[in-house]
Amino acid sequence: MRKGKLTPYLLVSPYIVHFLVFVVFPVAFSILLTFFKWDIISEMKFSGFANYRRLFADRLFWKALVNTLYFLSIHIPLELVVSLFLAEILNQKLKFQGLFRALFFLPVIVSGVAVTILWQQLYGYNAGLLNKFLMYIGLGKVGWLIDTKMAMPSIAIMATWKNVGLYIILFLVGLQTVPKQYYEAAELEGASHWQKFFKITLPLINPTIIMVVILSTIGGFSLFIEPYIMTGGGPLNSTLSALLYIYKQGFFYYHMGYASALGIFFALLIMAVVIIQRKYIEKRT
Amino acid sequence: MRKIKKILSAILLLSLTFCTGGNSKRNYLTYWSSNNTYEIEFARKMVAEWNAAHPNEKVKFQPVPEGQSSEEVVLAAIVGKTTPDIYSNMWQGDVEAYAKAKILVALDTLKGFKDFIYSRCDSSTIKEVTAADGHIYQVPWKVNPIMMIYNKKLLDGIGFKNPPTTYKEFFTAAERFQKQNLVNGRVTKWFGYAEILPTWWQRLFDFYPLYLAESGGMPLVKNNKAVFNNKYALRVFNFLRTLYVHDYFPKERLSARQDVFLSSVIATRFTGPWDIAHTEKFKPKGFKYDFAPLPTSGKKSELPITYCDPKNIVIFNTCKNPQAAWEFIKFYLSEKNELKFLEITNQLPRRKDLLSNPLFEDYFNKNPMMKKFARQTLHIKGIDQALYLKEVFDIISQAYEESVVYRVRTPKAALDDAEKQVNLLYSK
Repeated sequence: MRKGKLTPYLLVSPYIVHFLVFVVFPVAFSILLTFFKWDIISEMKFSGFANYRRLFADRLFWKALVNTLYFLSIHIPLELVVSLFLAEILNQKLKFQGLFRALFFLPVIVSGVAVTILWQQLYGYNAGLLNKFLMYIGLGKVGWLIDTKMAMPSIAIMATWKNVGLYIILFLVGLQTVPKQYYEAAELEGASHWQKFFKITLPLINPTIIMVVILSTIGGFSLFIEPYIMTGGGPLNSTLSALLYIYKQGFFYYHMGYASALGIFFALLIMAVVIIQRKYIEKRT
Repeated sequence: MRKIKKILSAILLLSLTFCTGGNSKRNYLTYWSSNNTYEIEFARKMVAEWNAAHPNEKVKFQPVPEGQSSEEVVLAAIVGKTTPDIYSNMWQGDVEAYAKAKILVALDTLKGFKDFIYSRCDSSTIKEVTAADGHIYQVPWKVNPIMMIYNKKLLDGIGFKNPPTTYKEFFTAAERFQKQNLVNGRVTKWFGYAEILPTWWQRLFDFYPLYLAESGGMPLVKNNKAVFNNKYALRVFNFLRTLYVHDYFPKERLSARQDVFLSSVIATRFTGPWDIAHTEKFKPKGFKYDFAPLPTSGKKSELPITYCDPKNIVIFNTCKNPQAAWEFIKFYLSEKNELKFLEITNQLPRRKDLLSNPLFEDYFNKNPMMKKFARQTLHIKGIDQALYLKEVFDIISQAYEESVVYRVRTPKAALDDAEKQVNLLYSK
């Protein structure tokens, strides 16, 4: 009997150990660190709420936060519209449907660094393909990554392209759960394609929309690789994301206590945004 | 149940074995080198030779474990108290903070160190590596001075038989080069290139060497105060700003493309001796290049000073036998072995007799490009021995981006603000 009770615990113990060591301990240690000044190599010094006070007075952090929210304001609607649109197309009976689905999913599994370097070439000011095309059709060059107004939207477009495949799959699953008889009934009533889409499809795939919005919000808040590689946070800090700023504080300057305070504050902010989002979308639909 | 108990006991025992498998009882020294293939090859040879001659004081070698950067790996090792006894490839700018945190051995307390360092280095190098507390925690090991590589054919084509040495000549050459390479009024080739990313260490390869060249090696920080807001920094900022204003340098990143120097998209670049092997390996047929000192505002009677990207050797305080570790380093840096280091890695040891010691003569005769860098080693500077250097460079980088690249502020205003920020940093 005792043996039977112990076995399940023993079987889950590798995961529990992993969870405690790699999740619980780092999170708890980070929370603790927020009350200390620590540069990794010296002794930790207790600093009370100094790191939090600094956070509220740190203009660059707030700029990074605003940049991240600006990124989200472009990225989420774009991601939602593009992925739903493509999923709707791929849900029709098409030739090479499987191939198209695989192709759209491909960027998701390609390394973020490789994709970023590739897009850097597309966005090049003088030799980039996009600007060459614009010049070819008689338009002027765009400073995709070197213009403070264009840099963040450019990164948002790239991030959307990279992740759209994942959300297409989610929407496809959602679309396939919509009972066909609803559409048939609507057709008998003479409903147009748009009416069917807005009155049947959208309400019925609401759980998928919530999931996509939440996932792309969390994903968007984690904006890091793209500005880290493509712009270093420039030009003039216009693509400095909150995560990149936290990384710089932690791993460039070794302000571990401050970076932890920023990280905890940022995590709470993401949680708050996701909760609000969820409540709002659920209420609306 | 018994079986389970046995398994659990075995796991516990194994964990204990791993947990106690640190430094405490081993009778050998551990050494980490960088991940550079040639340095690994050299280190392996040296360690094998040492171990054959010193069976009782063996050294166990490994390249620094893989990580995002060797610096992060070393930091993780410091936290976990698993640092090696000896580490080469330590960036000079990190040593002051490590010394302050008391995690390095003061090498000048070891027998034979002072004699060795005075015979190897000149007084300015020794001064440069002496920490604020008066001790020396690092052995100056190798340098890669920053110079200007140029495409001979392209410069010949614009009437420059010799590379430009002053800002004025540089602008003239850049203007001619641009005019010659306009396609339908568009700039397609640039006279030079520097990374525009505002990342702190990028300024080690553009602003900082030019500042050293212009100022004759003045510090950025002295006695915990910014001293870089001066006429020299202003001249460098203005020089670089002009290059971007006229599109002589591109305001975009070209680094991910094919090598823009080898494909003649740019005519010059500020770089180190590592470019020799790369250029030799990949240069197209008929490609001719050479190196020149960095430009300055006026003619100099001797070579201008440049940044040398120094990497040094340290002993961590986890080492149980620092004297034995020091004996190994001495062996590692012996004349005979430094010649091997030169031959295998094509990197320059930081020693004062590099050009005068007949032992190295043959190598430099066979490698004339390296000889240019060896000559430059007589006019080099590393980095100030000060805390928070990365933040200082980050602040300068922000000022650089604002005034040089994007011109939203004047160089004077940007430098004034950077000075204030750096002083605030040290006052905290």
